[in-house]
Amino acid sequence: MDLHGMAPHSESGKLEQVVSQFLLKSLHIILDSRIPSLHPRDPTCDSRVRKSDKWFNLVLGDRPAALDNLNFWHRNLMDPMIIDIILVQQGTAISTSVGNLLSGSPGRTATETVIERWLVQFESPPRGIASQPSEGSAASYKKTYKKSIIFLRSLYLQTRLLPAYRIFKQLSSSSQPFNFDIIYKVSSFSEPFSRVEEEMMKEYRFVPIEALPGRLHVSVTYRPQLSEFNLQPLTTMPPKIISDYVGSPATDPLRYFPSSYKGDRAISFPSKVMHSPTSVPFQRPHSWTSGFHKPVVNHHLAGSPTVYRTSQMSYDSPSPPMERIQNHRRPLHQRAPFYDECQLSPPFSPSVSPSTPTYLRNSESPRQTRASSETAPVTIPSPISGRSSRYISPNFSDPSKLSLPPLSPRSTRLDNSSNESPSGMRLIKKPEASRADLGSAGQKVLKDNKDDSGRFSGLLSSRSSSKLSFQDDIDDCDFSCPFDVDDVDPPDSRISQNVDWKRNLESTSMGRKSQDAAVGVLVHMLRTAPPLRQDSSCYSSRSLRAEVENDGVATTASGFFMPRRTSDALEELRSYREMKDLLLSKSGTRVLTREPP
Amino acid sequence: MNCEVCQLKELEVEHFEIREVLRCILHTIVFHRALGLVRPKVIDLELFDITYVQCGDGELEKKIDEKIEQFISWVEKHPNKKSQVCISFYEVKNKHPSWFTNKTERLYWEQWYINLNVSQQQKVHSGKSHPSKIVVDPGGNSLEERSARRAALETSLREVLFQIIKFVNEKKDHVPPISDGVVYFPYEVTIPRWILSLIHEI
Repeated sequence: MDLHGMAPHSESGKLEQVVSQFLLKSLHIILDSRIPSLHPRDPTCDSRVRKSDKWFNLVLGDRPAALDNLNFWHRNLMDPMIIDIILVQQGTAISTSVGNLLSGSPGRTATETVIERWLVQFESPPRGIASQPSEGSAASYKKTYKKSIIFLRSLYLQTRLLPAYRIFKQLSSSSQPFNFDIIYKVSSFSEPFSRVEEEMMKEYRFVPIEALPGRLHVSVTYRPQLSEFNLQPLTTMPPKIISDYVGSPATDPLRYFPSSYKGDRAISFPSKVMHSPTSVPFQRPHSWTSGFHKPVVNHHLAGSPTVYRTSQMSYDSPSPPMERIQNHRRPLHQRAPFYDECQLSPPFSPSVSPSTPTYLRNSESPRQTRASSETAPVTIPSPISGRSSRYISPNFSDPSKLSLPPLSPRSTRLDNSSNESPSGMRLIKKPEASRADLGSAGQKVLKDNKDDSGRFSGLLSSRSSSKLSFQDDIDDCDFSCPFDVDDVDPPDSRISQNVDWKRNLESTSMGRKSQDAAVGVLVHMLRTAPPLRQDSSCYSSRSLRAEVENDGVATTASGFFMPRRTSDALEELRSYREMKDLLLSKSGTRVLTREPP
Repeated sequence: MNCEVCQLKELEVEHFEIREVLRCILHTIVFHRALGLVRPKVIDLELFDITYVQCGDGELEKKIDEKIEQFISWVEKHPNKKSQVCISFYEVKNKHPSWFTNKTERLYWEQWYINLNVSQQQKVHSGKSHPSKIVVDPGGNSLEERSARRAALETSLREVLFQIIKFVNEKKDHVPPISDGVVYFPYEVTIPRWILSLIHEI
């Protein structure tokens, strides 16, 4: 910088200009070696020389924006410039209260320690000593300028020899986040160190620079040892693409959200890398969680007139994805018992599931309902309402493991084509609207979940038949004995029962391939199967009764159910034959009878 | 004008450490005496956890490396001896020209003496090695002794750098005025007990 080109207002004016630029250059040198965000990534790539670089013949590159705002130094050069280099360390105490996070109050502690304090001050002579311009003073500012050049070079080296430069290098050189950060504070006053802090710090004073009529003083109080601070990189998972996303048939469908939340590792100092919303340290990150954003509250330092933070600080980041995820993981954690009950699994959305109204009726707000639905969708179970807790296993994630109610022979009486039969609804306490919701919900599920459309369609088809079987299952309670005769059933009802039963079984087996379902089907088979040993008396009595009734002959049925011997039966058969022959002889017709087995 | 002399603290170095130590000290001194427009270049030592600053001038770096190689050659020929490296800054004064002579006079205004005590365990390396290549001398000492010695040398080297900073800030009046367009003051690097041929002139 050629001083001859300066505005020749006055010698004192030139000196003031030198002093003010000296302050700015000192600040630039200090911040350039302490604050990573202010340090240019590759200073060698920028070959141009700025006007500010020409001052003191030291090319430093672009001045930080914060320096441009420090115009108050020009107003009063006598005020000291105090630069505090503060080490901010991530605290270990983490608040588990959701309210703190949601309300914005900081739930995470951070310790701040002043590791360096630079003092740059221009001391003018006491009043009363008039400083008059003289020939000597013309060269005084030049001497001051030359000495300032030498001093600033030594300052440039000194900042890189102090211990704080090591942690600056750590932050600058590595791309991974750390559990600490460095911020700075520039002010004209500062709180003095406590006695304990003073004992831990050393002071180095530069030789004052003559700046007639005053002098420039520069000193630094620093911590000689920084090993007491546990400065280390954060062990967070790097962002990665989750190939085995939840909901894929190839993955274990029995996964569920963990009930315990490990929030220690959620928040990081995103110094270098802003993680994508899917980069989470949790077991099962889900894409829908990124929909919830909670702005992070800026943590403010107290008692600081001018505080500048770097963009690396998690305080200043609008919404770090880690903390963002933490925020909406909290509601899940709160409702952990809810999830333990139903074991929701994506990608089914509970909002479209027929059973979700049952589980979400205790939710406090629709938003939370939506939150739970978005964060933990439900597999669409069999169409069960009211008795769902009885028949549906806790594990919803595997539809094949759903235990469906056993089929009922009554299902044959109902039309399978119509999904909503009013007759089957008589014992169902849920309103009919739920059935309608089921149908529409099923359709909606198909729309919302394209990837699992195959599985959905299977469920949907099985639901229609299982729905009917469920209705009939309620009616099964009316049966007191599996071999009771149903007065209402037509003669060929058993055959039709078998046909429908087989049809239901097929449709059931189509949709549900689980052991529980198979067991249910087997039980139903056993219950509705025809007796293994057909009682001849019952059979023949039935057919005989029909014939007798047709002929108008009344018989008593009381004897049919009495235990008898074979000889009695044969004797009775003989008597019947005689009666038959008698009747035939009278009518003149011959009836062929079959010998009983 | 008086000549300010600075005797730097003696350093006990091994042969393979000479290059890095000398490079660090010489560049630091020149950086404080290059009062022209300079774009500083920060260099991290490989053998020590120390960062120093160069002027960012390739030519200067090359010349200093050449002088360091000459010193290493001298040390190899004169083992087990305490050696010095002297860097001097001077001004060129023209004497009164006469019929026969047109001499120029050098007025040294500052001298720095770098005292090195090269350890006995050394290996003779024939030829010139790459300036940036660090040759590790395994030696026969135990690992603990070597690490302790290395730590002591690092501390001493850091003290030397602080010594330079202190000296340049205490002594400023003897520094000549800066000429426009001139970056470096004329200097020369010598081994007092063996005059080197290379002298830097502007």
